[in-house]
Formats: sequence, structure tokens, C-alpha cells
Amino acid sequence: MARKRGRGMAACWYGIARTATIDRAAAWAEIDDGGSAKIVTGVTEIGEGILTVLAQIAAHEIGVKPEHVVIGDNDTARAPEAAHAGASRQTYMVGNVVALASREARQRLVDVMAEMWDVSAETIRTGNGEIWAENTNHRISMGEAVACAKNRGVVPIGSATFGTDTTGIMDGKGGDGSGRPWQAYVFGCQVAEVEVDTITGEVQVLAVWAAHDVGRAVNPQGVEGQIEGGIVQAIGQALMEDYQLNDGHTSTSGFAKYILPTSLDVPRVNSIIIEDPDPIGPLGVKGIGEPAMVPTIPAVMNAIYDAVGVRVFDLPATPEKILLAMREKARREATMAMQAAE
Amino acid sequence: MVDIRLNATINGRKVSRDAKPHLRLLDFLRDDLNLTGNKEGCGAGECGTCSVFVDGVLMKSCLMPVAKAQGAQIDTIESLAKSGELSVLQKAFHKAGASQCGYCIPGMVMAATAALRANPFADREEIKERLGGNICRCTGYQKIFDAVELARDVQNGRLPATALLETDTADGEVIGKSVRRIDAPSKVSGRLKYAGDMTMPGMLYVQVLRSPHAHARIVSIDTSAALAMEGVESVITSADVPGKDGFGVFVHDQPIMARDKVRYVGEAIAAVAAEDALTAKRAVAAIKVVYERLVPVFDPDEAMRVGAAVVHDYAPDNITKHIPIRVGDVEAGFAESDLVIEENYSTQAIEHAYLEPEAGLAYVDHDDVVTVVSPSQNITHHRHMLARIIARPISKVRFIMSPVGGGFGGKEDMIYQGMLALLAMKTMRPVRLVYTREESIISTAKRHPSRTTLRMGVMRDGRIRALAMRMVCDGGAYGLSTEGVMRKAAILAAGPYNIPNVRIDTFGIYTNNTPSGAFRSFGALQTQFATESHLDIIAERLGLDPFEIRRINAMRDGATTHTKQKLGSVSLMRALDAAEQASGWEAGAPAVRGPTRGDLAHDDVRPSVTLGARFGADDTQEAAE
Ligand code: FES
Ligand code: FES
Repeated sequence: MARKRGRGMAACWYGIARTATIDRAAAWAEIDDGGSAKIVTGVTEIGEGILTVLAQIAAHEIGVKPEHVVIGDNDTARAPEAAHAGASRQTYMVGNVVALASREARQRLVDVMAEMWDVSAETIRTGNGEIWAENTNHRISMGEAVACAKNRGVVPIGSATFGTDTTGIMDGKGGDGSGRPWQAYVFGCQVAEVEVDTITGEVQVLAVWAAHDVGRAVNPQGVEGQIEGGIVQAIGQALMEDYQLNDGHTSTSGFAKYILPTSLDVPRVNSIIIEDPDPIGPLGVKGIGEPAMVPTIPAVMNAIYDAVGVRVFDLPATPEKILLAMREKARREATMAMQAAE
Repeated sequence: MVDIRLNATINGRKVSRDAKPHLRLLDFLRDDLNLTGNKEGCGAGECGTCSVFVDGVLMKSCLMPVAKAQGAQIDTIESLAKSGELSVLQKAFHKAGASQCGYCIPGMVMAATAALRANPFADREEIKERLGGNICRCTGYQKIFDAVELARDVQNGRLPATALLETDTADGEVIGKSVRRIDAPSKVSGRLKYAGDMTMPGMLYVQVLRSPHAHARIVSIDTSAALAMEGVESVITSADVPGKDGFGVFVHDQPIMARDKVRYVGEAIAAVAAEDALTAKRAVAAIKVVYERLVPVFDPDEAMRVGAAVVHDYAPDNITKHIPIRVGDVEAGFAESDLVIEENYSTQAIEHAYLEPEAGLAYVDHDDVVTVVSPSQNITHHRHMLARIIARPISKVRFIMSPVGGGFGGKEDMIYQGMLALLAMKTMRPVRLVYTREESIISTAKRHPSRTTLRMGVMRDGRIRALAMRMVCDGGAYGLSTEGVMRKAAILAAGPYNIPNVRIDTFGIYTNNTPSGAFRSFGALQTQFATESHLDIIAERLGLDPFEIRRINAMRDGATTHTKQKLGSVSLMRALDAAEQASGWEAGAPAVRGPTRGDLAHDDVRPSVTLGARFGADDTQEAAE
């Protein structure tokens, strides 16, 4: 058989939010005329879907539909700081702070309605764009409630800041690296199934099973999107991508030479979302952007070994390297067989 | 060259306009007609973001001279959702979560539209082949395939149109639900404006002069000929920086344009603002720089040796950052181990290849606020740095984030925003810079290439007694995120395992290569590649299943990390169990079991492909009707 299959696995861990420093983020929330929610925060959507996640969180906390949440995003002259897009931090840092700000805005509105309806604030519920008091027939739309509040001189707003309880690590001269770099950790494990063409050396990754703890999945489809995208980027590094320099000049300055994974290179990704809630933040969420790609490369290398008995130590595992390693292995085995025969 | 008169039908309307003959169809559509839905991802026919229909045929408009469009019928992404109503395919992209950064999406929607026109019953494998000319860097393509399959089934009546809508939940709970992305309609329709799609009245075009040398002293820069050219408004060099020059995520070692010397090929040296891009390009070519070549250093191990060329005076040993982690006594740990294995691993430099090349606008507003609009991942920090560089109070510096067409860490660096701000201040006009793909690749950060030596000592029963790792990374010419990458790499290097004796050293090194910087998984990818490969090597030697050796060593609730932090709940065992079960893993030592294993090729595995078996490359551009 010219094509051989194999499987490999690898595990990973990752820290959520900025490393070995105190991370922070802030947000403002307002329940607006008509009962929509307005969130302003220096969040940075880079494609991962954070705006949708924040809309869901604000909707959940305030009791409106996600499509009735408007988000004012990053502008240093208009939005409070939420710091950067990176470190798998935005759902954790910005998600949690938007929840806190939304809660405060909701409380303002609830307090007004409690006074108006003469009920205790604890009995008031919100959801799906409505506000009501339990065991009464008081039930109005959020839009009406906002009008009530404004008639009493109250604009239902909230603000919040969220920081981490973390430290630097002792990495100066003679240091041992000790410290508390993150307050939330995630863990994951992936299994890869590959097929190696023993004639051409080409490797196809046919499937990846990816189990990742995300704390709490606000939007499972978005989590899957991060896992799928991360795995395919990692396969690019595992098998084909290579920024090459010769005396400082690159020979790969375009996509004709710098080869990226296309639709034909991707495995079927089977995501398994694990929810081990973060006990510190108000939502239990953690993160997924970066950990998703950490176990893929070793899982693929372990699978190649399982298939054809060669291990690639120097990435990427190009067809040439696989063939070379297979030839060396055959030579080694032949020598050993000869020695055994002597 | 005289203009040509172009007559064509564009998105159903007759268009008759003069056009510069050197334009590509993509430029004409985007710049002259303001149809910015289709994007330029590469300008070389490699990515598909510029795909449009020419007489019903899917074409890459970056490869087509505008004159070729004479008399043609052109349809861009804007034609698909004319009155604001998305097409079935666009709705399916929305529903399936097929857009992330969105930059590839207009081209992808065009290609998918062509695919379903060519074969309304195309199966998943055929869909993949028909999308083979379009790159997406974000999604991993899965949800794009899902979207095309969904659209196909709705179009064929196999699924009702309601399958495209939001699924409301009875209890109204929205957390934990796959709510459709709120930004998807703007992305699938091409209506979202990225920085390179934006224009402002009176805007000038910026081009950058870059270093042809890896390491050279700048003897002189003569900009007079460039400045004298008609249409050139300003030429800047590091001499024009009014404040304290220097940016970087950890050390501010990089001037916004090379100062006194260049440290890598592609480093910015000067920038021009002119009335149009062509004039700016010509002016860049007219700048004369005299260099004195310096001895370069390209290998990080060589750079660490005494006597190597020094890249930055402040770091005579070329070490950007060394991070140590120490637990217990590794030598004692190795001594008591039953088996000690050492191997070397290496990883290569990787380009982020976000489909949106760097772009930005800057202007000075009516209140004298220097404003920069750019797809940056960290404008908070950029504002701090820029205020210092241009010597203005922070309140007079404003950054506005434009939609980010992919970042992956590569847009954390303030690599071009300083030049833009300076040119806006000099000219008091809006200025815009859009990188070409080549510029983006040669001048921006890469994933740190690494060389790792890993030594692990284990007991016969699989318990790891000691781990020693030394990783040397090429940080390239500037610091950028190197310090942070080394730190995260080191902290996570030993994996989520209980190991009593650990010694880890990661080194980020200056060289005259393209700088390395932040890249998704930030050093942890390099170190855990080594550790997780190593565990399988050891498992084979000990006759242990790979899951088993990891379980034996796995951190559990309350574990203490290698930085001596006590953890709360640890979900590693759950993740191991879940992956093992979902994949139907057949247990056994990793001893080349592939040929005999019984768990292969079940339902969750895609069929393998013989590349190009069904369609030739040209065939994918076949007629749509
Ligand atoms: S294929 Fe035209 S821009 Fe990439
Ligand atoms: S969504 Fe495809 S490149 Fe970002």
C-alpha cells in the first residue's frame, strides 16, 4: 500500500489573559430608549466574534435580545480601555467586564421599577425585552421601563472595571521563574488521523478530534470556529508554511512561494467543548483562541510516526523530509538486519 | 499614456468612464467606482479575495487589465445583495458562522456562488475543490463548506428557507447558544469598510522606502529630488521625528523609520505623501541613500557568541531576553531516572498571512488631535507610544480601530502608524497607506523560529522525574514581543504535568533577520511541540499508551505549576478522556501501529484526496451558466 494511515495525540495547557502582569479592562453600559442596550468598550474584534459574544453577554445580563444590543468598540477618544486583542483574553477580560457593567445598568432600572411598583427589587425579573415583578401582574417592555426611569430623572447606566489577581514571575538573574502569571488556565487534547503517501511523502491530515476546556461557551459555533481555524493554521506550520531567508532576503514574499493551507488541505475537525467554569470571573468563561492550535502539530507528528515510523523534529514536515527520513529508516533497518544475519 | 474610454455593464448598470490604461480591473472597480466590496489580498492571483464575475465567469480581477473589461458585463459582490436583501448563499454564510475577520469572504461568496451555479448539487468534496483558489486564514474552511452545503440544500428545496434564520430558544436564554454573528451581514455583503477601503476628501497617498540591506550604516539620505517632484507633498525620515523615537511591545528599540542604521531587509527608511500612489512611488525611487555595509549576523546561536556583530548597542550580547524556570534539582532527577532521552527540535518562521495587508489613515482633526485609523490589535498601547514619539499630550492623540482583516498577533506592532501620523502632521491633510502583500510579508513580524534541546528523565512506570529544556529563538532585528514570547514559552514549556525537577531556559536573540513577534500561541506552540513529541518517544520506549503516560503525569485539581502557582480546578483529565472517547482511540504504545490499528477511517474522518483528480486548475473558472 502506497498510502499509510496513522493516529497521534497530544495535550496542551494555556494561560488566559496577559502573562505575568496585571490585566485589566473596562466597559460602560446603558439601557437605551426603546429598551435596547448600548455597550461601549475598547474591545477589538479581530474576527474571532467577540462583538457577538459581548452582545450575548449584555443581552443575558440585561434581559434583552442580542440583536437589540449596540456595541461601540475601540476608539481611544470615545471608549474606556479594554486593552488589546491577544493572549486569548477578550472573552475573559472584556466579556466579564461587560457582564459587570450590564448588571449595574440593569440594577438602576430595577430599582426605579421596584419603587414605582412598590415591590422589593429582588422580585423583579428581566428577559426577552421585558421587565416584570414576580407574582404580580406588573409586566412592561424594557422600552417602557426606560421611559419610566427617565421620567424620574434616572438614566439607567452602569460601568465596571475588571482586573486580574496575577503577578510577574521571578525571571531576573538567578531567578527561578516563580510567580502567578495567570488566574485562569485551560487544558486541551487533540487526536489527529493522517495519511502518508509513501511514494510522494505527502501527508494529509484527515481528521482532528479536539477537546478543549473553555470555561463556559458563550457561543459554541464561535468556539468551534476558533478551534477549526487554529487547527488549520497549525497544520500549515506542521506541513507546508516556511518563511525562508537567505542572508536576510526572503525568497517567499508572495503566496506563490509561501504556501498556505487551502480548502483541499483541511481535515474534518470534530470539536468537543469542555466547560470547567472559571470560579473568579462573574461568568465562568475562559478562552480558546490560542490553545486551539497548541496540540495540533505534535499530534500530527505523532500520527506520522504511527503511520510510517519516521519522526520529523524540524518543522515543517515537507514531503522531501518525510521521504528522506523513510529512506534513512529503511537503510538503518537493512543494516541492522544484515548485522543480525552475520 | 492617454486614458481609455471604458464602456461596460457593471452590476447591471451601464458605465462609461475614462480610465488610466495601467489600471487593473480591481483598481478600476475599487478606486474609480468605489466598489470596495471585493478586496486585494495579494495582487497576484493567489488568494481569490478579488474574485468577480466577468460575463458570468469567475475571474480574479487583480490579474485583469481594465481594458480587457471593454464591453463586458461585470458583477461584483455588491451585485448579490442589491437592495440590502442577502442572497441565499450570503444568508447561509451568516447562519453557519462562516465569516470571521471577513476579508476573504466577498471573494469566497463569489467563488461559492460560481460553484453552486456550476453544479447546484455539488457535494462537500466537490465544493472544496471548487473553492480551491480562495484562501481563508481564519476559519479553517469548515464553516464555509457548511454554509455552501446549507445554501445548496435550501436552493434545492431539501431544507426550508427557515433553516437560514436564527434559532430562537423557548426560554430566551442566549448564553451557550450559537447566536448568529452580528457583524456577518456586513462581511458577506462586502459592505464593511476596512482601512484600505476608506478614503477622505483631500487625501494623500503614502509609499515607503525600504532597506535593501540587512545591516548597514546610513551615511546620508537625500530627499531633495523627491521633494521637488510635482504632486509630492512631503517626504519624511527619522530626522523629522519630534519626540522620543522608539516603539515595541516590551522594549522600545525600533524607530518608526531607520535611524543611523538599518537592521533588516525591508526596514522603513523614508516615507512620501503625494497626490496619487504612482507619484508617491516615483518619489520613493528618487530618494538617494548612501549606505555603509556592516557585517550582519543571521544565526541566533552565532549571534550569542563573543565577537559576533552587535545588532543593538544596548544589548552587546544580542540577547533580547532570557527566561529561566527552576524547580528542584534536575541533575539529581536525571540520576535517579530509569530512562533519560534527549532530542533536538526546531520550528521555522511563519508568516501571519492575514488576508488584509496593513493599511491605515491619519489626519489632524479640527481640535489638533492627531488621529490614526488602523486595523491594530492594540491601539491603547499605540496611543501611549505615539504620543511620546510625536511629543504631544496623550489627549491630543487618538487611535480609531478599523475592522481588522485578520491579526493573529501580527497587528499588535505599531509598525507604520508612526509614519502616517507624522505625514498627517507635516501636510495637515489626510494620508493613507496600504501595504502590498510583498511589503506586508517582508517588513512585518513572524513567528519566532526556534531550536530546542529537550532532555527528559522518567521512571519505568512512566513518571517524569526531570525535564531540562533550552530553547534559542531568532527574534530578528527588533524586540517587538520577543520578551513576552520567551516568557510564555518558558512558563508553559514542561506541559501540564507534575515534574519535580525542572530547568527551562528560553532565549530571544537579536539578528539581522525579519523581526519575530507576537503570533497566536506565543511561544507555547514551539515548546509544547517539543514536549508532546518527546512524550510519545518515551511512551514507545516504555510500552505505554500515549494517553496513559500523560495521565500518569497529569496535573490534577490543586496541582502546583512549574512557576510554583497552586491551581484550583484542572480540566486536563476531562480533556484527555473526551478526546480519547470521541476519536474511538484504540489503546497501545505508539510503536508504528498505523498499519494494524482498528480505529481508523470512521465516520468523523474525511476521505483522502488525490489532488487535482476531478478538475483541472482552469476548469474551476468555468462558465457559470
Ligand atoms: S487573487 Fe487577486 S488579490 Fe489575491
Ligand atoms: S474570514 Fe477568511 S480570511 Fe478571515
